[in-house]
Amino acid sequence: MATDVLSAAPSPGPVPAPAHAPGAGPGPAAAAKPRRRIRNRYLRGLMTPRGIIGLALVGVLLGAGLAAPLLTSHDPNFQSADALVGPGSAGHLYGTDEIGRDLLSRLLYSIRTDLMVVLIAVPLGLLIGGALALVAVTHRVADVAVQRLFDLLLSFPSLILGLTVTAIAGFGAGSIVTVIVLIEIPSFGRMLRGAILVHRDREYAVAARIGGAGPLRLLTRHVLPNAADPVVVQVAVAMSVAVILEGAMSFIGIGIRPPDASLGGMLSASRPYLEDHPFYALGPLVVITALVVGLNLIAEALNRGARR
Amino acid sequence: MPVSSIFTSRRTVLRAAGAGAVALGLAGCKSAVDEKKSSPAGASGQPKKGGTLQIGSLTDFTPALLFTQNAFTAVHRLVFNTLTSYDPKTLQPQPQLAKSWQVAADGKSVTFQLREGVKFHNGRPFTADDVVFAINNLKDPKRSAQLRATAAVVQEIQVVNPLEVTLKLAHPVSNLFDLFEFMIITDKDSVEEAVTGKKLIGTGPFVFKSWTPGASLSFAKNPEYFIPERPYFDGVEVRIIPNNDSLVSALRGKQVQLAIGLNGRDVAPVKTDPQFTVQQYDTGSGAVYVGANVTVKPFDDKRVRQAISYAINRERIVQQSLGGFGLPSSAPWPKSSPAYSDATAKRYPHDPERAKALLAEAGVSNLDVPLAYLNTSTVIAQMIQFDLQQVGIKTTLEPLDPAKFQAQLIGQTMPALWAGSHGFAQLHPATLAVSAYPFNEAKNTSKFSDPAYTEIVQKAWRQPDADSPAAKAAYQDLSEVLLDRQFVIDLVVLANLYVADKSLQGVGQNTYASLVLDDAYLA
Repeated sequence: MATDVLSAAPSPGPVPAPAHAPGAGPGPAAAAKPRRRIRNRYLRGLMTPRGIIGLALVGVLLGAGLAAPLLTSHDPNFQSADALVGPGSAGHLYGTDEIGRDLLSRLLYSIRTDLMVVLIAVPLGLLIGGALALVAVTHRVADVAVQRLFDLLLSFPSLILGLTVTAIAGFGAGSIVTVIVLIEIPSFGRMLRGAILVHRDREYAVAARIGGAGPLRLLTRHVLPNAADPVVVQVAVAMSVAVILEGAMSFIGIGIRPPDASLGGMLSASRPYLEDHPFYALGPLVVITALVVGLNLIAEALNRGARR
Repeated sequence: MPVSSIFTSRRTVLRAAGAGAVALGLAGCKSAVDEKKSSPAGASGQPKKGGTLQIGSLTDFTPALLFTQNAFTAVHRLVFNTLTSYDPKTLQPQPQLAKSWQVAADGKSVTFQLREGVKFHNGRPFTADDVVFAINNLKDPKRSAQLRATAAVVQEIQVVNPLEVTLKLAHPVSNLFDLFEFMIITDKDSVEEAVTGKKLIGTGPFVFKSWTPGASLSFAKNPEYFIPERPYFDGVEVRIIPNNDSLVSALRGKQVQLAIGLNGRDVAPVKTDPQFTVQQYDTGSGAVYVGANVTVKPFDDKRVRQAISYAINRERIVQQSLGGFGLPSSAPWPKSSPAYSDATAKRYPHDPERAKALLAEAGVSNLDVPLAYLNTSTVIAQMIQFDLQQVGIKTTLEPLDPAKFQAQLIGQTMPALWAGSHGFAQLHPATLAVSAYPFNEAKNTSKFSDPAYTEIVQKAWRQPDADSPAAKAAYQDLSEVLLDRQFVIDLVVLANLYVADKSLQGVGQNTYASLVLDDAYLA
């Protein structure tokens, strides 16, 4: 993953703007001539040891999840008579669970489910939160309304919100996505609103306004690209929060619908066997930890890159 | 002394009234299938007096359910007594607060002689009026007692003198003594405080001291208990530990000496540890079943329901999800029930081919139906789902929390299929068919009604003598009709487990799984 980013980076040409939107066009980078500074601030941040480790952790797991059908020949929901066999026995590379299902394939498929939920929910949260932030900066009345809405959403502890949504909408992946979106809306919204308000009154923005830029052009060309920094970092943080939340909801039984595998569900099911079959709990535990640590490392790397 | 003689003849049978007989009756509370490592009395042989027993319970006390059989079992037989108590091996009633009784030959009345000198914990003497109150109290719908139908059969109560009472019945019932095993005798003046958990006043071996909701209950020894020298313990503390793994940890960490409510899967870590004993009863935990809503097509066709019964691998459920504790059975009865037979238990072996053939015969294919289940038994639900899938019945799992599950069970609003567990098969077989929601002949969750079923149930229920050949034949008929119609598809008769420190001796339960500690001590 890390090398992909490096090789994708070189692309000579003029730098279009002083600031970049998230994932903006590749800037000239150091691949051709080593030790040259990477111009894109985010890439520069990611190319630190911290960023590379984060990308590697998330990339490997993402790849494993996507390639799940290729990596294992076992149906993750097939129950056999071989219950709780240890790694390596009876043709199961990583053993089986209490009702004889192959643990490796369940683990791989649960990464898939998990990442699917996260990759749908976080962008949705960003989109809605961002839209609300834009509404908030237009008018004082709208600002008050949006701010109170954020307060309302923030006042729910995440699992209580999860229980409420599940009670209303029934349970399954849809509810998890809804809960994650609802939780991410205020964090994205507040962050973006604050950043826009700060940058709107900066000298360069004032200069642009004097120069004849209309409100839309001012926002899209000048303010938003600069206000995006904290949001880019927040995307990575939000993903790690979403991974934890999916795990927690499935752990308490309001997440992914059985028999489909989920990281939290596997962890929950493994509890009675912690002592006799520790390998059972270890798998989902390692995956959740690696995902969260990886995503946090990426967030930290992006943050440092953006500030430099 | 067989119970038949009590029922069949005018001859009155006076029960031995001595305390020794009572103690015997209570000690007899161990089940016939008590086969697991229930170690004999301590090496010293002499029960030790004193000390406080620490119990860990998964569920908290729900005072509103005081007059029902419910998940919290550590109060009914600690604070209270019943008129009679069964010897679970034979289902013969033994004296408790009643020292003797006579049942009329036509089975339509019963007279009790009450034990003299018994006092409630507040010092008030126990009299016949308390029996009158207890029966009327159970008839009250707001107590939601499962045996209300049987209590309602008592039409008239005559107090002969303070220590003698006669009950007149509308018609004979075979499960009469199930009622007296069930009915706790409470102080009639404080019953409203009892159902809110403020004050529990009974005649039992322990005095209720306090209840901290969600945390603990505390009991002290009743120094005036009517059985001399009992109980051995000075006090009992019940700690509410709502998580199975934490409860096992508390047991291993010696914070509690007895864990109640654990299932077979939970006890795996301590099963082979010589520090602990696992006692297994076949009564009190009920049976796992799949119910079918017969108003949803194609489950109106009994062949489809029978196909489900053949499709499910009962042995695998016991082995993989219940840690080997439990009896795979197509019939609802535990082995100690008078209706139990090997033939009915093994009526539906695991036979997917036969299931497929039955489905084909019924012209059913491409079934995709919801399967509701109690969200605390996800593993069993997934196993049922998998087995059904193998014969071509696709199901979508719909988890329900316990409150919603219960509401849908009572309200007859279950989807096509549901998986749950039912109780009340451990006593006289008629109790199941007139009391348990899935089976109740008058109104059941499956919305199943059939004149033949009604007739068989009523016949089994109205037997004046629970042990007569006629009654036994009626129980067999009941088994057969249930096994043929299969609106309730029984899978496994569950084991009720007590996991204890090996030093704890003499723990028992009655047939409603209420914990009995009269003879318990720490060696």
